[in-house]
Amino acid sequence: MRPIPTLKISISGVRGVIGESLTPTLLTRFAQAFGTYMGARTIVVGRDPRTSGEMVKQAVTAGLLSSGCRIVDIGMCPVPTVQLLVRHHRAHGGIAITASHNPAEWNALKFIGRDGFFLNTGQARELLDIYHQGDYTRVGGAEMREVVELSGAIDLHIQTIIDGLGWLPAKEKKLRVVLDACNGAGSLAGPKLLEALGAEVFTINVIPDGSFPRPAEPLSENLGDLCDAVKEHHADVGFAQDMDADRLAVVSEDGVAIGEEYTLLLATLSVLGKTAGPVVANLSTTSALREVVSRFGCSLFQSKIGEVNVTEEMQKQNAVIGGEGNGGVIYPRLNFARDSLVGMALILHLLARTGQTITELVNSLPRFAMIKEKMKCPSDKISRILRMVRDEYATYPMDLRDGVKVSLPTGWFLVRGSNTEPIIRVIAEAEHEAEARGIIDRVYSRVQECLGQP
Amino acid sequence: MKPLKIGITGVRGIVGETFTPEVSVGFAQAFATYLDSGRILICRDTRSSGPMVRSAVVAGLLAAGCEVIDLGICPTPSLQLAVTRLKADGGIAVTAGHNPSPWNALKFVRGDGLYLDPQQAEELLDIYHQGEFAKATWNKIQPAIQYKEPIEYHIESLKRAFDVETIKRRHLKVAVDCCNGACSLLIPRWLAELGCEVLAINDDPNGVFPHRPEPTPATMAQLSALVKAGHADIGFAHDADGERLGIVSELGEPLSEELTLAVATRIRLDQTPGTIVTNVCTTAVIDQLAARYGSSVVRTPVGQTYISGAMFEHGAVLGGEGSGGVAVPQVHSTHDSAAAVGLILEGLARSDEQLSEIAGQLPSLFMLKHNLTVEPNRLYSVLQDFRIAIEGEQLACDLTDGIKVQLSEGWIHVRASNTESMIRVIVEAETESNARDLLDWARDRLNK
Repeated sequence: MRPIPTLKISISGVRGVIGESLTPTLLTRFAQAFGTYMGARTIVVGRDPRTSGEMVKQAVTAGLLSSGCRIVDIGMCPVPTVQLLVRHHRAHGGIAITASHNPAEWNALKFIGRDGFFLNTGQARELLDIYHQGDYTRVGGAEMREVVELSGAIDLHIQTIIDGLGWLPAKEKKLRVVLDACNGAGSLAGPKLLEALGAEVFTINVIPDGSFPRPAEPLSENLGDLCDAVKEHHADVGFAQDMDADRLAVVSEDGVAIGEEYTLLLATLSVLGKTAGPVVANLSTTSALREVVSRFGCSLFQSKIGEVNVTEEMQKQNAVIGGEGNGGVIYPRLNFARDSLVGMALILHLLARTGQTITELVNSLPRFAMIKEKMKCPSDKISRILRMVRDEYATYPMDLRDGVKVSLPTGWFLVRGSNTEPIIRVIAEAEHEAEARGIIDRVYSRVQECLGQP
Repeated sequence: MKPLKIGITGVRGIVGETFTPEVSVGFAQAFATYLDSGRILICRDTRSSGPMVRSAVVAGLLAAGCEVIDLGICPTPSLQLAVTRLKADGGIAVTAGHNPSPWNALKFVRGDGLYLDPQQAEELLDIYHQGEFAKATWNKIQPAIQYKEPIEYHIESLKRAFDVETIKRRHLKVAVDCCNGACSLLIPRWLAELGCEVLAINDDPNGVFPHRPEPTPATMAQLSALVKAGHADIGFAHDADGERLGIVSELGEPLSEELTLAVATRIRLDQTPGTIVTNVCTTAVIDQLAARYGSSVVRTPVGQTYISGAMFEHGAVLGGEGSGGVAVPQVHSTHDSAAAVGLILEGLARSDEQLSEIAGQLPSLFMLKHNLTVEPNRLYSVLQDFRIAIEGEQLACDLTDGIKVQLSEGWIHVRASNTESMIRVIVEAETESNARDLLDWARDRLNK
């Protein structure tokens, strides 16, 4: 089999491996295409701490300047900070340089529109057309605009959260928090925010030097060090961020990673406890969310997977909170973006308000077992696999908006191709671990058979 | 056809048209590949497209795994000195030198601080065209380092090469026009070190060129007025990146750019007789001066790399070109207007002469320069036709660079510009009417 390409140009942006596919020429051309698409305006640029970040930023800077854009360079910062700054500065767009949870050798450009949302499918297609046509706006030296280096973007982000949610109520005993920022962009923002809120903060992995002390995805199996640190410091809670600080995972006071699915549940408890309203999540989010939302007499709407799909549905439904089961919390009142900083603030306020521990809060929530699997998959096999699943489970209710989601009597499962990597994902959820495992084993083995066929 | 010149002097074009970020990135990657991803310095002049081109170059160098040291804005000769001081493998100067502000260019410097020689430049071009560049993996990419002292180090090198105390004692009053280029950061400081009273104009490195950044009498009116109004002893005009120098005498008279090297030659040979290196189309004043001192002149093709090479080969005491570039080997064997300033002021200080006296004693010849704009794809066929015409008349051609013909009234030189798509015709004779006759003679044969 030929090797699967490491370059992924898709509606999620452009993503590739440094030293292989993600070359400076490709990057500078994409930046020119974006500058052309946005009409030579003000563009906010931020990056995560990957070692290739500076190279990528210089290539992007050259492309944006060449197409007549003015650049607001906010330096190293979380992706949600870029989104917030686009809105705050009334900029016309933004580029976030980050491959979020991908390993260290990857990097990527994520394109942000003037509303601070990632480009939606239609917009992304338009951008790709401009990129491929190659006829970019080019300005001469006299019309070339400047790069404004802006410090304080992270402070503004933190202030926005404090202004919106307030400090934690003053208590004799401060909440004790351990933060694991994965040496990512959150290293620069998380500790500051937690201290500003009034928590007692302990940190691990907060040196943003581009090294990856653990895999960047805040999955439970990657959080062993954080769990130990929570126990060691007798902390009330542990927080883990990914490389670009949009996703958040929580560790309980017992040093147990509760699973990234529970991040959105806790944040939803925090918000709905004060403000009732519609909630939006993507269709692979745990069924527990529906039960939580209905406890408050509110309604849950499901969207396709991908941050921009969730945010667009949230706008449509006028949602008070939304997000994704991978630890992405979107609280539009503060920042219409997946924002781990907002997530931490919401959960700390929930702890302070209820006086309950993380374990108590989690135990009060309905429990489902969710299992996620992924495997490498060449693109030409994806549609065959999806067709197989559709045929095989034709008698069950199905949601075909994003891959194939099948509702079974004991739970549900979802099979879909990734937008960002050459892999296929299988997710299953049921009330009990054994049932979920049964579902996933059946589906997984069928998918593997399908992959094995010529 | 829009101009993009890719040649042995580097790559040059108009930003917004042909000189794109992709071209800049590609050449940076090619250069990095050529130097095996070593330590590479980068600087730029002040033009407004500089930050864009700089970013593209830095991206290309970093992607290839280079250790990048960014000198910011500084003259190209400052970068050339820093390359040897910092033991770098090479350098890239982002500057279009004397070209107008819409242009920009990359100039490639090798590890000894000199420009790539023609063979090296051709190899670089081959790498660029082949398009297979060194690619560093994520853990081999390092952030660029800022180096803030290229100008201090340049001034140190200059101070070692000249008799600063003698110059200080003369208390010269010097007018300078830095054309708002990179020299704004160097020349006023250098003159202050020499104890001069400095009258500076256009010394704001903002990249807005008040006139063409080419020091010729046509661009020196403002400087000449300043010399007169300020009663200066001499006026100096600079290009955007500190290679070319123009001179205004204490009477406010701008000298032809051809005479910058002539004045420097006169001063240099007065102190140290020896070989002078210049290109084939620089004024014959140099030969007549050298003859006075019993010295010889070596003629090379046009371009600094040839001048530098011949200076080493012949142990020259001075090199330079009729464009106003002067290379003083005590500093380095490459065009450096700050070194030329040091040499000329040292000459004035030692002899107590006025600049107008030195100029007045130079042999008197009349030169005409004429540019013929030609479509880039026809440049060489026009030259070919010219050569065939000359040879048809049984005249001898010097083909060192372009075509040089010696007639009884004087000489004619015809060549393609290295930097713009035109043919440059230069003639020189004892009188203006003879020179005009020569030019007409050449144009007749070029238009056929």
